[in-house]
Amino acid sequence: MLPYPSQSLPFQPVDDAGPDDSGEARAPVAGLHLRAALDGLEAGLVTFNRTLDILFVNSRLRSMLEIDPAVAGGVGSLLMLMEASAVLSTTVVQQVHEACQGAVDTRTPQEVTLAAPGARFFSLRVGGLVDRHWMASFTEVTAQRTAEAQAVERAKCDPLTGLLSRTLFHDRISVLLDTGPDHEPTGQPAADPPHPVRHAVMAVDLDRFKSVNDTLGHSTGDGLLCLVARRLRSVLRQHDALSRLGGDEFALLVSPAPDRTVLDQLARRITDVIGRPYLVDGHLVNIGASIGIAVFPEDGATRVELLRNADLALYDAKAMGRSTHSFFRPEMDARAVARRLIEIDLRKALALRQFELHYQPQIDLERHAIVGFEALLRWRHPERGMVSPAEFIPLAEEIGLIVPLGEWVLNQACLEATHWSEPVTIAVNVSPYQFEDTNRLVEAVGRALSLSGLPGRRLEIEITESVLLRNAEPVLAALHRLRGMGVRVAMDDFGTGYSSLSQLHSFPFDKIKIDRSFVKDRDDDVGQNAIIRAITALGASLGMATIAEGVETAGQLERIRDGGCTSVQGYLFSRPVPVAQVAGLIAGYNQFQPTPAY
Amino acid sequence: MSELYQVIYCSRNRIPGAPDTVSENIGGILARSRENNARDGVTGGLLFSDGCFAQVLEGPMEAVTAAFERIQCDERHGEIVVLQSGPIAERHFADWSMAFTGTRALGAGKVAGLGLSDTLTTRSGGGDTVLGLLRSVVVRETEWLESV
Repeated sequence: MLPYPSQSLPFQPVDDAGPDDSGEARAPVAGLHLRAALDGLEAGLVTFNRTLDILFVNSRLRSMLEIDPAVAGGVGSLLMLMEASAVLSTTVVQQVHEACQGAVDTRTPQEVTLAAPGARFFSLRVGGLVDRHWMASFTEVTAQRTAEAQAVERAKCDPLTGLLSRTLFHDRISVLLDTGPDHEPTGQPAADPPHPVRHAVMAVDLDRFKSVNDTLGHSTGDGLLCLVARRLRSVLRQHDALSRLGGDEFALLVSPAPDRTVLDQLARRITDVIGRPYLVDGHLVNIGASIGIAVFPEDGATRVELLRNADLALYDAKAMGRSTHSFFRPEMDARAVARRLIEIDLRKALALRQFELHYQPQIDLERHAIVGFEALLRWRHPERGMVSPAEFIPLAEEIGLIVPLGEWVLNQACLEATHWSEPVTIAVNVSPYQFEDTNRLVEAVGRALSLSGLPGRRLEIEITESVLLRNAEPVLAALHRLRGMGVRVAMDDFGTGYSSLSQLHSFPFDKIKIDRSFVKDRDDDVGQNAIIRAITALGASLGMATIAEGVETAGQLERIRDGGCTSVQGYLFSRPVPVAQVAGLIAGYNQFQPTPAY
Repeated sequence: MSELYQVIYCSRNRIPGAPDTVSENIGGILARSRENNARDGVTGGLLFSDGCFAQVLEGPMEAVTAAFERIQCDERHGEIVVLQSGPIAERHFADWSMAFTGTRALGAGKVAGLGLSDTLTTRSGGGDTVLGLLRSVVVRETEWLESV
């Protein structure tokens, strides 16, 4: 604490500052320690009176503004003092003078940033102290200003590729939309409807970029992004804006936009040039590009709408397969809204016990008996009724809900199966996503068996080929561990994947489920039958049972039987039924033996 | 001097028009690539056969990468398949900024029966064949250029 004498000014003229026209009595001169404290401040200070004559100058101000020592004695006008600075230009001295005069005249504090030569910046604040004394305080802010300027510069460009940043890209669109159609000088009479200039936003996402980054490292990934940026630039016109929004997301603004045919050609050209091979750090790299396109004004009137709709179109392109492009269509928006609504409900459905299992019987064709049931997940939505699994399973997989949901199915199916009168098998579908953590999956199966008391041999898990296509090793290890618990393993949807035959040799599956597409009646029954026979023969040679699903007619059943399938399931026998009807189905079916109902 | 690097690719011709237009274009491509390559220390050979290009580029890695990038951005060809790429001990075309061989009948003719179109379709093999062929016929290229 500084020992300020009460009723005294905080700053007192140390030097004789000339006549004080107020005529008020001068307070005693402050001690040397106060002066030292003022000199030690970060800010440069000068106090002055109404006529801008100096009362006090701290030494920080002299050093900061490099004031000629001959003038810095503290005598004279503020203007003289400033003019003795080697740092301030004449213009800046004028600004200081105006600020101080302004504070005196208006009796309100003034604040101004001074831009001195050599890109130095000072913040000046002028305010009244007590009656008729004022203080100007100078702080150098060059460092902050430089940092701010750099931040602004950084916001403009992506440092890696030199392309526009997201912020600046957004600005470019906003500016175009604001000054576009309304302010277009057409020279037409006002009655003529304006012909809005069209702008196209293309959202470009790289396919397989992540795997490049993961396998070859970030430095190669960064090198690749730079090459992508250059290839994109090479197909655009000089004035089209190109941005890296972040990661492997790029966006471009084609303005004015040509008609859709030309945009279509441009998009093809981009997917072509991005899909060509790259040499990065001596590595040969192949990636692809998916593109979503939204055009102003028909696909969105605002920047936000345009970007969102280009993104929706991009999702559509990605869903169609890699390296392709989609134009925005209004139904994409409706679909996205519907999806968001269902996603919100889906997250709550497990806790609200809205899921239930339905069971479809599997019939052995030789024994004419129900030998098992497939558990099929159903979602009973309070307002929408039964929601199709085709609608919610992919969504559950996408939002990561499939793992707890899959575990619920395992537990529930095992539990319910223990109440049935016959020791039939219970087949449960396991999603490829559940195989991403194989330990968790194996533990979940073990828990479902021990909690329910169901013998392992009654549980059959159905997997699709895609599970084996990625990470085959941990998946095979997990399948063997399941087999160790007595659990049976079936290959689902057989015949739809690429490498079906080789997959069959990788694990001793208990059963092959022939995809329903081979069961359906088609013109080429002969071809279909040949495929079915080939699969059943292959199964028999490998010691695997074969089951055909989707059997709906007696004719189909005949074909399946002739094809050599060991069992079937389908509407011809029974649709999937709620658990309450399972007992009746088993009893009823057995009652009709040996003459089957079909 | 960075280590020598080589890339061999083939691609399908997309230059529209009559054989004369195509050979004119190829002449332009060659002139341009010889100029760039001489500047950058890149050597190699270009083959036109069966409606397809095959090219060998060799030199310092950065220069080969840069030349390869320029070529990727060219719309006059497509369906590019890299047959082989990697470091090499020595240049195969040390004296050629860009050797060339091609058939007079640019549409369908094949140089030495080389079915580049099949190579492109099956996306397999061909690197050594292209390399060997280019090296064996490189001497005749100037004659061919003069004849068109």
